[in-house]
Amino acid sequence: MLKNYFKIAIAVLKRRKFFTFISLFGISFTLTILIVLTAFVDHLFSPSYPDPNRDRELFVNRIRLEASKKNGMSMSPLSFYFFDHYVAALKTPSKIAVYTNGEMSNGYKDNRKIVVELKYTNQVFWDVYQFQFLEGKPFTGGQLENRDKVVVISAATRAKYFGEEAQALGKYIEANNTQYRVVGVVKPVPFLNNFCYADLYLPYTLVQDNLKDQSLQGRFCATIQVSSSRDLPALKKEFAGMISKLPRSDESYDLIYCYPDEYLEVLTRGLLGQGKDKSTGKAFLIFGSFLLLFMLLPTINLVNINLSRIMERSSEIGVRKAFGASARTLTYQFIVENLILTLFGGLLGLIFSLVVLHVLNASDLSPNMELKINPVVLFYSLLACLVFGLLSGVYPAWRMSKINVVTALKANN
Amino acid sequence: MIQLNNIEKVYRTDTIETQALNNISLHVQKGEFLSIMGPSGCGKSTLLNLMGLLDVPSKGDILIDQQVTQNMADTKMARFRNSRIGFIFQSYHLINDLQVLDNVELPLLYRKSTAKERRELATEALVKVGLGNRIKHFPTQLSGGQRQRVAIARAIVGRPQIILADEPTGNLDSAMGDEIMNILLDLNKTDGTTIVMVTHDANMAERTHRLVRLFDGSQVQ
Amino acid sequence: MIKHLFKLIWNKKKENFLLISEILISFLVIFAVFSSITYNYLNYREPAGFKYDDVWMADLGSPVQGENKDSVMLVFANLKNALKGMPKVRDVSLSSNNVPFSSSMMGSGVEYGHVNIQSDMYRVDKDFAKVLQMKMQSGRWFNETDRNPVYLPVVLNAAAAMALTGSANAVGKLVKMEHQTLRVIGVADNLKDKSDFKTTSPGIYTLIDTSSIRGINTMLIKVSANADARFEDQMYRLIAGTTRAHNLQVAHLSEMRTKKNKEIIVPMVILLIISGFLIFNVALGLFGVLWYNISKRRSEIGLRRALGATAAGVSGQLLGEALVLATFSLIIGSFFAVQFPLLHVYDLPAGVYMIALLLSVLFIYLLVIVCALYPGKQAAAIHPAVALHED
Repeated sequence: MLKNYFKIAIAVLKRRKFFTFISLFGISFTLTILIVLTAFVDHLFSPSYPDPNRDRELFVNRIRLEASKKNGMSMSPLSFYFFDHYVAALKTPSKIAVYTNGEMSNGYKDNRKIVVELKYTNQVFWDVYQFQFLEGKPFTGGQLENRDKVVVISAATRAKYFGEEAQALGKYIEANNTQYRVVGVVKPVPFLNNFCYADLYLPYTLVQDNLKDQSLQGRFCATIQVSSSRDLPALKKEFAGMISKLPRSDESYDLIYCYPDEYLEVLTRGLLGQGKDKSTGKAFLIFGSFLLLFMLLPTINLVNINLSRIMERSSEIGVRKAFGASARTLTYQFIVENLILTLFGGLLGLIFSLVVLHVLNASDLSPNMELKINPVVLFYSLLACLVFGLLSGVYPAWRMSKINVVTALKANN
Repeated sequence: MIQLNNIEKVYRTDTIETQALNNISLHVQKGEFLSIMGPSGCGKSTLLNLMGLLDVPSKGDILIDQQVTQNMADTKMARFRNSRIGFIFQSYHLINDLQVLDNVELPLLYRKSTAKERRELATEALVKVGLGNRIKHFPTQLSGGQRQRVAIARAIVGRPQIILADEPTGNLDSAMGDEIMNILLDLNKTDGTTIVMVTHDANMAERTHRLVRLFDGSQVQ
Repeated sequence: MIKHLFKLIWNKKKENFLLISEILISFLVIFAVFSSITYNYLNYREPAGFKYDDVWMADLGSPVQGENKDSVMLVFANLKNALKGMPKVRDVSLSSNNVPFSSSMMGSGVEYGHVNIQSDMYRVDKDFAKVLQMKMQSGRWFNETDRNPVYLPVVLNAAAAMALTGSANAVGKLVKMEHQTLRVIGVADNLKDKSDFKTTSPGIYTLIDTSSIRGINTMLIKVSANADARFEDQMYRLIAGTTRAHNLQVAHLSEMRTKKNKEIIVPMVILLIISGFLIFNVALGLFGVLWYNISKRRSEIGLRRALGATAAGVSGQLLGEALVLATFSLIIGSFFAVQFPLLHVYDLPAGVYMIALLLSVLFIYLLVIVCALYPGKQAAAIHPAVALHED
C-alpha cells in the first residue's frame, strides 16, 4: 500500500512541476531557517568546549542594588571580596572560578594596532573550564601569588602577534603598555561564550583595584561548580540565604538582587529580567511566538497549494471512492503523500542549511563560532519537518475526504 | 440482486427543491443485463449512483444481494462497493498519472492482496478486454475506445457481481461503441455478471435483456 | 463592475478565506518590515551634527588614581598638555565614558518649570565642541569665563531645548538637575551619536569640575589625517605612562561607528533576507493558486467571451478579482496596522507607521498584480468555443 502511495505521490509531484517547485521551495526554505536557528541555539546553550560540565554549574555575573526610598538603582559585576569572603564560605560549591568580564585594550606591534580582550582569572578557572592547551599550561598558584606578569593566550592571538604556526611559549607579548610572558596557548573558544572568551588570560592579582575593598560591586563574575547536578537547588538555596544576610542600609541600598543561575537563566535574567526576574518563561514565549508566526505564512501557503492540488484531482478521488476507498484511507493517502513531499523538502532544507552554516562559520560574524548539525539538531529538524507536513496536510486531507463522489465524477478532468 | 423499493431522491439547495426520482421500484435479477433510457435530466444517472451506493436516497430502501444498505458506515460501504460493484463511466475517469496496469490494479489496492496477485489479476483483466500489449502505456497515449476498455478491465478486475455502466459508449463512435458493447455482453454471458447500463442509444439498449424508461424521475415502462 | 467583482468574491468567501488570510499575513509581515526600514531610513537621513573623522577615543579602563581630586585634575591637565604638544594632535577633550558610538549611557532627569524630562547627560570639557566640530544653534559653548559662576553653566542639545522650553529660546533659562540649579548658556545641534540609525534624544552637557573628575576616564582626541599606527603607539605609551591606566584602549570613532551601525544593519539584513524569501514563497503560491482557479473556471470564462467580453476585458476582470481579494485583506490588515500608532505599541512616531502602511499597501497590490498578470493573460487566450465544448 505504502509503495503505491509513494508511486502516486511521485507521479503527482512530477506532473504538477510548478506546484511541486513552490511546495518544495517553501518547505526547504522554512526548514533551512529552522535548522540554522536550531544550530545556533544549540551552539549557544549546549555544553561544549571548553565548558563540558555546564549542567552542574551556576553562574553569577551581576548584582543589582536598589535604594527603594530614593528610587535609585545600580547594577554591575561583583567585587572580588564578595566571592572571596561570602561565596567561598558556602558549603555546596566544589569549585569556584572567579574572573573579570572581557576588557578591551590595545597592543602595538610592527606599527600595527592589535585590539585584545583581557580576562583576569583565578587558578580554579583553569580547572572548571577544560581548555585545550596547544602550548604550555596555565599560570601556577605561585605565579599568581607573586603577581608575575604572565599570560595565557588564545591561538588566534598567537597568530596575530607572532604569525600563523609560530611558537609563542616563553615569548613576550605587549598589551596595555606592559610586557607579559606567554606561559600557555589555548584553542580559541566561541566568542558568544561570554564567560570564558578572551584573547589574553591574566592572573587576577594583576588587577590594579584594591582586592580587599569590601563593597559588593566590582568587576568580577564567577562560575560555581558542584559535584553533581542534584546539588544545584541546594546551592541556590544556600546562596539565597547568604544574600539575605548581607549588610545593607536604607541610605545607599536596601534591596539586593543576586542569583546563581543556570546558563539559560543567566542570559534571560540579563536580557529580559533586568537582573531581577529569571524570565525564562518569557524567553520561551517570545521565541515560541516568533517561530509560530514565522511558520504560519509558509504553512498557509502550503495548505493553499495542497488544496488546489486536491481539488484538481477531485475526479481521481471520486474514482477511488467509487472503487472502494473509504474516506479514512484517502485521508491517510494524502497525508502520507504530503509527508513524502515534506521529507523531500526537508532533505533539500538540510542541504541548504549545510551551505548556510558553512557560510556563517566562515564569515567573521561571531569569532570562533562553529555551527554544526549534530544528532540533536537533526532530530529537531526532522520533528519540525513532520509537524510541518502534518499541519499543512491535515486540513486539505479533511476537505478531500468530504468530496462528494457524484459531483467529483461529474466534473470532467 | 439489486432491489429498489419506493425510491425517491430530492436535491435541496437553499431555495429550491428538485425531485430527481419519484417512487421508483425496480428489481434487477442476478445475471440480468438491464438498460435504462430516457431524456437528459430524467434521473438515469441518479438512479445508477444510488445503485452503486455513491449517493443515498431521500426515501425508500435499496437492497443489494439481500443486504440492506441504509445507514451503512463509510468504511463498510466502501468495502461493499469494492467487493461487489464495478463502475464504468462515460468519460472513463482513468488516472492519467498512472500506467494502464496501475489503473486497473486500483480496486485491488483497497482489499487484502499481494503485489503479485494484483499484477496477475490486472493483467488477466486487460487480456480479457484485448489490451494485454498496452499495460505499460499511460491513458493519454490511448484512443477513446482503448481507454474505455481499460476502464472495463478496472471494473471487472475485482470480480464484482454487478457492473454499473453510465453511458459507456457515449463518447465513442459507433464502431468503437460496438466493440465495448460486445465486451459487456460477453461478460454478462460467460461470467454471469449482472450489468446495469444507462444509455442514449436505442440500438445498444435493444441488445440487452430488459429496458427501463425514465421520464422526469418516474418510471414509464 | 467593481460591485460585480465584490459580489463574486463575497459569494465565494469560504473558498477565498485561505487566500485572503495569506495575503493578510503577508501584509502584516511587510508592514513590520517597512516600518523598521522607514524608521531607520528617516533616522539615517538626519544630519550627524558632528564630525567623527580622525577622532580617537582613549578609554583608561578605570578612574585615574590620585591622592585627592585636585591631584587627579592635575594629572589630566598635564596629560592634556602633553598630548597637545604631540605633533599630530589637534585638540583634546575629557569626557564621561558615553562618547559617540560607545555602548555606555548616562541619564538624568532635568526640570524646567513644570516640565520634567529624562535626558542623556554628558560630562565634557571646553574643548569637546572643538574636537567634534559641533555647531551651536544659539548662545555659546563653555569657555574660560565659566570657572566660578553663580549657577553652573550647561549646554542643551536642540532636542532637550525643545522638550524643556518649547519654541522659546532656552539660553539664559535656569533648569534643575539632581537638586542643582543650572543656567543654560547655549543650545547645540543634536548629535546623532548612538549610531547612524538611532534617533537623537534630549542631551545635556555639563562641565567637568573637581566634583565630577573622579568618575572621568575617557578622552577624545582629534588628530590630523596622517596620524598612523606608529603615532598611535607613541600616544598610547604617553597616556599609559602618565595615568598608569589599568586597561588602556585607544579606538577610532569611525571604527566604533561602523561597529554600532552593524548592530542595526545585521539584524535588518537578516530580517530582509528572511522576509524576502517569505514573500517570494507567498508570491509563487499566490501565482499557483490564481492560475489553478482560472484554469478551473475555463467554461465560465468561455461563456463570458461568448457573451461578448473582450480578451482585455477578461484578463482585466481576473486582475480586478485578485485586487478585490487583496483589498479585503488590506482592509482587515490596515485595521490591525493602525492599532500600532494608536496604542503606542512601540515608541515610533506615527508618521513612520503611516509611510509604512502606504508602502505596504502599494507593495501588496503590486505583488498581486504581478501574480495575476500572467494567469489573466492565459485566461484571455481561451477560445470561447473550446471552453464551452469541454463542459
